[in-house]
Amino acid sequence: MTARRNIAELAVGALPILVILALWHFIAAARLAPPTVLPDPATVFLRLISMLGNPQFLEHCGITLFRLFTGFGIAVVTGVTLGILAAGSKPFAALLQPLIRVLAPVPKIALYPAFVLTLGFDHSSKVALVVADALFPILLATYQGAAAVEPKLVWSARAAGASQRRCLFTVVLTAALPSILTGCRISLIISCIVVFLSEMITSTDGLGQLLVRAARNFQTVDMYVPIIMISMLGLVLNASFNALSARLLVGFPERPE
Amino acid sequence: MPRLSAVPGLPPLLACLALLAAWELAARAFGINGLPPPWTALRELPAIFADGDTLPNIFASLRRMVIGFALAATFAIPLGLMMGRSALVARFFNPLLMVIYPVPKAALMPIIMLWLGVGDVSKTLVIFLGVSLPIIYHSYQGARAVDDKMLWSAAAMGLRAPARLVRVVFPAALPEIMVGCRTGLVLALITMVTSEMIARQTGVGNILFNALDMAQYEAVYAMIVVIGVLGFGLDWGFEAVRRALMAWAEPSHQIAVGSA
Repeated sequence: MTARRNIAELAVGALPILVILALWHFIAAARLAPPTVLPDPATVFLRLISMLGNPQFLEHCGITLFRLFTGFGIAVVTGVTLGILAAGSKPFAALLQPLIRVLAPVPKIALYPAFVLTLGFDHSSKVALVVADALFPILLATYQGAAAVEPKLVWSARAAGASQRRCLFTVVLTAALPSILTGCRISLIISCIVVFLSEMITSTDGLGQLLVRAARNFQTVDMYVPIIMISMLGLVLNASFNALSARLLVGFPERPE
Repeated sequence: MPRLSAVPGLPPLLACLALLAAWELAARAFGINGLPPPWTALRELPAIFADGDTLPNIFASLRRMVIGFALAATFAIPLGLMMGRSALVARFFNPLLMVIYPVPKAALMPIIMLWLGVGDVSKTLVIFLGVSLPIIYHSYQGARAVDDKMLWSAAAMGLRAPARLVRVVFPAALPEIMVGCRTGLVLALITMVTSEMIARQTGVGNILFNALDMAQYEAVYAMIVVIGVLGFGLDWGFEAVRRALMAWAEPSHQIAVGSA
């Protein structure tokens, strides 16, 4: 794709975002809504930029990111391991499947009070909620990906003398990688959303708490800042994840452009 | 899979029993007020349902969810299909959707409340926003994967573009759309609970978090079970409908459920 077409594509995509910003600016400037309800977008973005230099704000961001990555990391390791094991062993799959069928459709956010009561108000309850929400998409994607691996690949590896366990973690895991990465990408966005919500419900720090605090004090401008921040974090995480998976998937037919 | 799992309903039932057993063990191991054993928590259920407010609350929640979901489906499916068949429309909307996707929709609640108040409108709007995105995304993917030859044949037989969208693209993308709807259903439940938690007025989320604030731990766990059963029941019902509609489109699309 040529550079010029790239720029044209970006311009078309930026249009609706710019239109929304312009509309926002127009409504705020024309005083159709009182500024306490809808501040001007320029004010909000200037506040966001000034907050980016504020060490306290950055610390809140850091705490949110720490919870997000810890929870997401645990979910990836557990989900991929369980998924691969279930694909490798029929009895284990028979054990795991009904549990997943019961647990996956339960809205995990409803479990949050239980996590708070058992694990306390600190990091662990939020991390637990992120794990609970991020686990199932990864687990299901891994299982489906691993179950769909070409059996000839496994037979060849077994014929070449690889033990069954070694086969699972070298051949099956690698062949299921595209599916696993799709699951991880869904979970990453979910983790973003859930960590923010958990901080809104009960917390003393983090981006979600900043939103709640601003809402309680009717500081409207400060309410928009954490929301824009989490949206930008999600964008950056998503873009870096796409770059990483494009790198990991070199040579796969499913490789994204 | 062994023969035992061929009995319908038995494996999930066993899974429930295993979960209850794990809960019981955890309750004994922890031995704290914050984790009552399952039996004491479930004993709260009759009292909760005997309270005249509970059932209307649950119905209020469900009504908001159904309305938000229906509105989202009528808006998101055509948009997603158009994005899938027109590169221009896709390029136009994709970045905007990318920006909106990671925003927790329930986090918009405090701001929407300033605009529309704490009533049904705000909560339904939040559910609508949350459900729309996965449906748009999956309709888009489904419409993109439609075989071009079918569209060419339809065009050769004189169908115009809008009619092709309705009569060819929509049915062909339906299995994928249903995947989006199921993800949307899970999202609708989560958004419903969270929005009611933020704007405490009516609904199951309201009962749950009020019990937490008043330190009625047994009621908290009983409500978690109620919401869990609600989620499982809705998912099961949806899956039954989907299977009836999608009988022609085997192998069935596997669905990654459980998203926020």
